Formats: sequence, structure tokens, C-alpha cells
Amino acid sequence: MSLVVDPAEAAAVAVSSVGAAPESEAVAWRHRHLLDVDRLSGAELELVMRTTDAMREVLARPIAKVPTLRGRQVTILFYEASTRTRVSFEVAAKNLSADVVNIAAASSSVSKGESLVDTVRTVEALGAQLLVMRHSVSGAPYLAAEVFGGSVLNGGDGWHAHPTQALLDLYTIRERLGGESQAARSRAGATTEGLLAGRKIVILGDLLHSRVARSNIWTLTASGADLWLCGPPTLLRGFEAWASRSSVAGRRFQVTTSVDEALRDADVVMALRIQRERMAEGLLPSLREYAARYGLTRERLALARPGALVMHPGPMNEGVEIAPDVAAGVQSVITDQVTNGVAVRMAVLYLLAGTQVPA
Amino acid sequence: MTRSPLDLEISRAWLVDLAVGHEGPGEIVVRGGVLEAVNWLEGAEARGIKPDGVVVAPGFIDLHTHLREPGNEDAETVATGLAAAAHGGFTTVCAMPNSEPALDEPGVLARIRAAALAAGSPVELLAYGAVTVGRAGEQLAALGELADAGVVGFSEDGAPIRSAPILRSALAYAGALGLPIVDHAEDASLTAGAEANDGFVATVLGLRGWPAAAEELAVARDLAVLVDVLRDVPGARLHLTHLSTASALDLIRRAKAAGLPVTCDVTPHHLALTDEWVAGARRWAWEASGDPWADGALVTGPYATALRVNPPLRAPADAAACLAALVDGTADAVATDHAPHSEVDKAVEFGLAANGISGLETALGVLLAAVDAGRLPLLRAIEALTTGPAAVIGGRLRRASAGLVEGAPADLVVFDRSESWTVTPDCLSSRGKNTPLLGMELRGRVLLTVAGGRLAYEAAEG
Repeated sequence: MSLVVDPAEAAAVAVSSVGAAPESEAVAWRHRHLLDVDRLSGAELELVMRTTDAMREVLARPIAKVPTLRGRQVTILFYEASTRTRVSFEVAAKNLSADVVNIAAASSSVSKGESLVDTVRTVEALGAQLLVMRHSVSGAPYLAAEVFGGSVLNGGDGWHAHPTQALLDLYTIRERLGGESQAARSRAGATTEGLLAGRKIVILGDLLHSRVARSNIWTLTASGADLWLCGPPTLLRGFEAWASRSSVAGRRFQVTTSVDEALRDADVVMALRIQRERMAEGLLPSLREYAARYGLTRERLALARPGALVMHPGPMNEGVEIAPDVAAGVQSVITDQVTNGVAVRMAVLYLLAGTQVPA
Repeated sequence: MTRSPLDLEISRAWLVDLAVGHEGPGEIVVRGGVLEAVNWLEGAEARGIKPDGVVVAPGFIDLHTHLREPGNEDAETVATGLAAAAHGGFTTVCAMPNSEPALDEPGVLARIRAAALAAGSPVELLAYGAVTVGRAGEQLAALGELADAGVVGFSEDGAPIRSAPILRSALAYAGALGLPIVDHAEDASLTAGAEANDGFVATVLGLRGWPAAAEELAVARDLAVLVDVLRDVPGARLHLTHLSTASALDLIRRAKAAGLPVTCDVTPHHLALTDEWVAGARRWAWEASGDPWADGALVTGPYATALRVNPPLRAPADAAACLAALVDGTADAVATDHAPHSEVDKAVEFGLAANGISGLETALGVLLAAVDAGRLPLLRAIEALTTGPAAVIGGRLRRASAGLVEGAPADLVVFDRSESWTVTPDCLSSRGKNTPLLGMELRGRVLLTVAGGRLAYEAAEG
């Protein structure tokens, strides 16, 4: 089954391309922008997963390129330094044959004091139809979406959200856990919710400053996982209140400062990056102490289930939040995350393009 | 009802006058700008006159207004600010001194008075002087000269009084002049970079938290310094403006019970709006659940910069505490903290947006929403806009009292609680269209504002 070019048929095609799905009613993608994952339903997450499956097929071809977004301009506007995410979006857009414009804020008129609103209007006037944006201020993509005529895709905003990272993490977990047992997969009807139900997933590290963690909270709890957040108390500020507020089914998670409690019998452990600034801000005594108390080492990983997945959104500080042998070990799916990132971003670009009126 | 600038008869209205502590059916007559008669009706004459129709009250007094002139006339001028006041039913405003340059010497006061005169508005313009030169927090401003020139108190508003020693000096010096120090209670060491109330909503939205403890700490410091100063200067007086947290209001409640000369105000937005609005909810504080993600309350997108304000919109429990403090008298007044901003300063990322809500024109409507919801007695709402603030600024008012005084120049507002109006940029007289209430319908339309015997505002017919 190959991908059809017309984005209007995107959703249906993406779902039917995974022909085995028992309940293959096509859920229409109805979001013009992808700014956050807090309001995505389980069915919508499933649609992204299946569309990603289809994109993985594309990536497996000898020439990993489809003409889906031919003639569309994807502008990648990054106000923060990034290699991995920016390149991943660029590769994804190019695989879909989009025209890609890259703007790094430092080299644009932004450094001359141009407002975000003016910059967005300018890139639109220059032909942008899909705007991928990264910004250090939480919520900035919402402002862009207010003035941009096309679709805005949040590539990470402040501490708030990193939707495609959460989706690629979900995809990676789903793929790996599903792969463990085909029987379990079919029993659960192959839905993400079924695959993740009761699975213990741990996010370990600097929750406070992490947009990756915030987005994963929504997608993983919506998928039925038994989610645990763990880190030093200074970097967990506010999350206990969030957890206690989440009385709604499908939104529950646990918060602990005890690594042992968090890691015991875990199915997935995701370590987060620790920034050096946290010491200067008085939030941590030292990197050495962090590594000793919260670093993901082989010894700690032994508390988890045999074969538990090790993840990291990158870039890593090896020897701080994650030991080098764990990062490179057999349980690590960190490079899968990177590869899946391209497929997920292709899927999201594809779904968003489908909501636009064809030119 | 007849309306002409100086002659006016309003019959069969609901009169509210806290100077005599009374509300009820009545009629008023204004001749040549003078409030000639205030007649309270009884028996058959009063039949059918209810408090949910046309209400006549003394003109409102705002203890906390930013007029932005001089220095930021794109956001507001004295003329547009006074027009906004009149539209909101205010006949007296007390301008904060954080202009550019700061109002730290009488020349700046003369300048805004000249602007008011040129504007021709009958709304009374009062002003605070800065506590320190240039609001830099280091050297006392010309407090005595400013007092002679007629300021109603001293404040660094926009920022807290930076150091305890300066606060101590200011309370003593101003106390001897018979004037209050008005502090913006914020321990800046806890709020560096803060974007939204420290709590559930900020955590979910990834916004830097603005803890309640920052306000409580500052209030505790201020009260401790006040006690220290009172030993030598019994006339020292402290007023804390726009308190927003349950913990800070509890400190004030206890300080008042102990007899300290402290007063405070709360704003309409802190008692009626919550941090849920930052997430995209648009319901009154008394309807809030605290988890707008759980109950379908998110009706619009998050991060609207009209909601960025200092202090930030708080959790529902804090908003409830503000309302409770107003009802029980812990809060002496409602002040608008009218903080107009230009589009340039608000059409930016949430974290970079200027703090402030344009509030003069919506204050009455927001309070009446609380009244309509049964959360606030009408009498208390009017008291908090009239005699409450009058007591804080003492004898500096042009009028003899914040009541309906027969024989004095008429100073009153007439509004109709049965009429609604929709908040739109065009209907606001302020240059600052930065209100989160845009598009919302408020009950209680101001029909008429009379200040100093002259017509300040009259609603268009229909």
C-alpha cells in the first residue's frame, strides 16, 4: 500500500495502510495547528501512530521520498539553538517533497528587535504554509497561530510543550512494547491504549524545566500508562499538585523523589537532560551529586523489569543523568527515538497539510 | 428621567449612600450642578422600586490608576484616562507616580494637572508621589514638597518599596505629613522572571511561577516595619494595594484586629478572575473548579497576554479570599489598578508582555457580577468604591464626603443593573484595550456620571 498524494485523503489512507487494524473507522484529523498535546484524544493519538506507521513504510523504501507536500512551503523558524529537532523536521519535510526554508533567529531580523508577530507575517508573505517553530517562551506558538494563515507546528516552546517529541516517544514505546508479544498486541486490538495499559513508565530528572516531560504526561496518561515522575524535589516543584489534581481517569500519574521506588519494575525509563544552569540557580548542589543520586546507572536499571526500555530525548550529558554504558546498552532505544522522530514529523506535517485548503 | 448637564431629576431609582449608611428607593434633584434634594421614598411611593434597576450612587473613587502621562502616551493620556474613569462611574482617580519621569517632585504633578485642565474633564485627578527619587529605591523623594503640592500619599507602585530602611523612613516621614505609604507587596527575590501564579495552571503551561509567598513576605515585612515606626510616629499609616492572596489578606485581618493603622484594597480582577483564564477558561472565580482541563472549561486558547498582570491572577481559593476580605471589611476598598498598555506591549509572547489590565471601565460590571451571583452585597460593593477609598486618602478629596450630600456640587453615578453591555475595544474610552473581558457581556450599564456638578459621562440613548 503506498501513500496517496492527495492530502485530503490523508487520514483515511494512513489508517487503511495499516490494514490489520480491526476497528479501522477513520478518525478525521481536525486540528489546523499542533501546538500542544493536552487536548488530543486517544483516537487522535492512534491516528498519528498509524500515520507514522505509513511513514515508516516510506522510509523503508530505496528512495524514501513521496510527493505529498510538493509545492508546499515548510518554514522552520527556530528561536533556540537546536540540531536534532531542526534537522529532523527538515528531513521529514524534504521526504514529503516540501520546499523547506530554515530561519535561525540569530541570523534573521529578530536580532534587530522584530516582533514575533511581524516575523510570522513576513514568513507568511514569503510563502510559508506550514510553520514549524521553536521558541524559548512558553506559549509563543499560540501567538504565531493567531496571526499565521497556515498551520503552526510547535517544535518546542519554553517549558511548556514539545508535541512531536512526545509523539515519537509514544511511537517508540508502542513499537517496542508491542514487539515483545504479538499475542498481547492482538488481544489489545493493537491500540496504543491497550499496549500501554498498566505499563510502568518513569520520567527521571529535571521535570520543572522540561517541555518533553509536560507533553509526555498528556500522551502517556491518555494512553493508559502507569506514569511515574521522579527527580530531586527542587526540580519537581508543582508536579505533586498537578498529580493530585488529576482525578480524571486517564490522567493519573505518580510523583516521587525516590529513584528506587520509581524504577522498581518499570517497563520504560526516560532520563531527562540536566542543564548546568541549575547549579547557579541554587536548585542542585552539583552535577556529581546529581549523577550519584539520580543518574540512570546500570545498577539502578537493574531495579526495572528485565529488558526495560531506556530512553532520552537528547542531547545527553553522559555520566550525569545517564551512564554511558546504559545509553549505549542493549536496552537503549535512543537512536530509535531519533529515527522515529523523522517518521512522526512526516506524519504530523502530512496530517496538518490535510487540514489546509489545497492551493 | 431628564438629563441636562447641570439640571437633573431622577425619580424612582434605588439610592445607595454609605455616608449615611442607607440604601433604598428615592429620588434626586440637581439644579445648576448642585445636588439640591435627596429624597428617600417610603410606603406607596416606594412600591416597585428595586435594587436591580436604576441605581444612583456617589461617584466612585479609584485608589489605583495608571494614566501613563507623561512618558507613555501611546498607552493612555490624562485625557483618555479621565474619560475612561467617567465611563466607569469614577469621579475621582488617584494616579500612580510611575510615569516617565516619575512623579517624584511637584513639577510632574503640575504637568498632569495642566493636562487634566486642558482635557476639560470634571473628573477629579489626585496623585501619589513617588517614595524615592526616580523610583530608584535609594533616596527619599521630595515628600514634603509633594505633600504641600497636594499628593494623597506615596507609592513606588509597579514595584515594591525596595528596602526596609527606606520603607521605615518613608512611613515615618509621610506619617508626620499625615499621608499614607501605599505599597505594592512583592518580594522580588521570589518573583524574578515570574510569569503566572505559581500553581497548577502555571505548572501545566510551563510558566515560571509567581508564588503567593512573595506577597505574604512583603506584607509581613511592611507590617513589622510599621510597628517599628509607630513607636515614634503615631501618625504613620500603611496601605497595601492590590492584595491577591489568602495568606496576605490573613495578615492584614490580624493586623487590623491588633489595631494597627493599616488598610488595603483588592482589585476586581483578582476577586473575579483566576489563573484558569490563562489556560483558556472564561468563567468567574466563584464558578471555577481549579482544574479547567478536567471539566471542559477551556473555551479559548491559553496564554492571552491581556491576562498578564502584577500580581498575577491567582488560584480560585485566593480569588475567593479576596472576595471574602472585601465582604468582611478586611479590604477597605476596591481599586482598579487600571493599567493601560498599547498593542505593541501586549501583542507579544506571554512571557514578554507588559503587566496590567485596563480596568476603570469594567470594574463596576465585574463587581456587579459578584453581586448578581449573590457573593457580594450591593451596599458593600458601593462602599468599596466610595466611602472605603475616601477613608484611605482622607481629607484630600475635593468633595466634603463620598456620600450624596444635599447642597454640595453633585458627584454621582447612575447605572442600570437591568441593562447589559458588551465590552469591545471601540466602546472603551481608554487607549488601553488590554482587558481579558473583551467580548464578554457585563451587567450594569453606566448611564450618567456627574463630577463636581458637571456632566462627565452620558450614555448614548438606547
